Amino acid sequence: MKGTNIMAPATPEQLSHIVDFLKRERRDLSLEDVMVLAERMAATLDETVARVDTLLHDEFRAIVGEIANLRRDIGGLRPDHMRFERIPEAGRELDAVVEATETATTTIMEAAETIMAADHTDVEAYKALVDAKMIDVFEACSFQDITGQRIRKVVRTLGWIEERLGQLSQKLKISDVDNDPENESEAERRQRELILHGPQMKGEGVSQDFVDDVFAISGQDDIDKLFG
Amino acid sequence: MALDLTMPVLVVDDYKTMIRIIRNLLKQLGFDDVDEASDGTEALGKMKERRYGLVISDWNMEPMTGYELLKHVRADSSLTKTPFIMVTAESKTENVIAAKKAGVNNYIVKPFNAQTLKGKIEAVFSD
Repeated sequence: MKGTNIMAPATPEQLSHIVDFLKRERRDLSLEDVMVLAERMAATLDETVARVDTLLHDEFRAIVGEIANLRRDIGGLRPDHMRFERIPEAGRELDAVVEATETATTTIMEAAETIMAADHTDVEAYKALVDAKMIDVFEACSFQDITGQRIRKVVRTLGWIEERLGQLSQKLKISDVDNDPENESEAERRQRELILHGPQMKGEGVSQDFVDDVFAISGQDDIDKLFG
Repeated sequence: MALDLTMPVLVVDDYKTMIRIIRNLLKQLGFDDVDEASDGTEALGKMKERRYGLVISDWNMEPMTGYELLKHVRADSSLTKTPFIMVTAESKTENVIAAKKAGVNNYIVKPFNAQTLKGKIEAVFSD
């Protein structure tokens, strides 16, 4: 070992020789030999650590760059405008739609109930009552025009959000993650377990005739035929 | 089972307007004793206090759905024979099959009319 440059890092081949040398249980080693070996090993590690350090530094710089790009892209979506203006406004519009339809329904039902409960022995008085209640019904139906406008505003907001999320998804090259029961929220679990789909679009759900067919049968064979 | 117009009927729906519609239709059909509950939990409580001749329930309610109510009713020996009609906007095949398997007597898809309600009530009591 004497006469070697102890500061020079060992090559992998030299390291292999050193390891073999130590494994041979040499009893003629001096303290100086051990020191030389230790210093060569340390020099080797220094270079390795320096290489890894540079690599990590480059990786972190790349990650920081990506985060900066992501922040810029998300900023372009105007998230505060979406969160504090567009979405709450859409929520208020939908609340107003619910309120308007409820008010109109109540007015129409009250009119119907009043007519059904009215005394029709006095024909003239009965006709006057029916005419007045029919006017109430016509007036109540005017809700449809305003709710239509409100719903169109909500649809525009949804389109605006969809467009921006689509742009972000494209930039980030994000694809859908498959449904994973572990990522399922409590509300999603409830919907799945309690079979809560909500109303279907016209032509998508089953008809009352289909339901009647299901209830008209009793055996598994009949059920199989129905879906056959 | 004969159709008795004096029997108490329990209408379960979280939408007050729908309860009002069904109550009015039942009144037109001759039923005067109509009670109401806004979800399965409230309905189950009422059913334990009073014996109803018919339950007409929505499916989608919170906290207890009509589907859960149906399963509770069928699992309870004192309530199990209560006629149960589901009136719901849940119109997927799996809903209809699940309700039938759980023991519902009939199933009405919303929106419905008075004739359908009348027909299903009559069908339940003619079985």
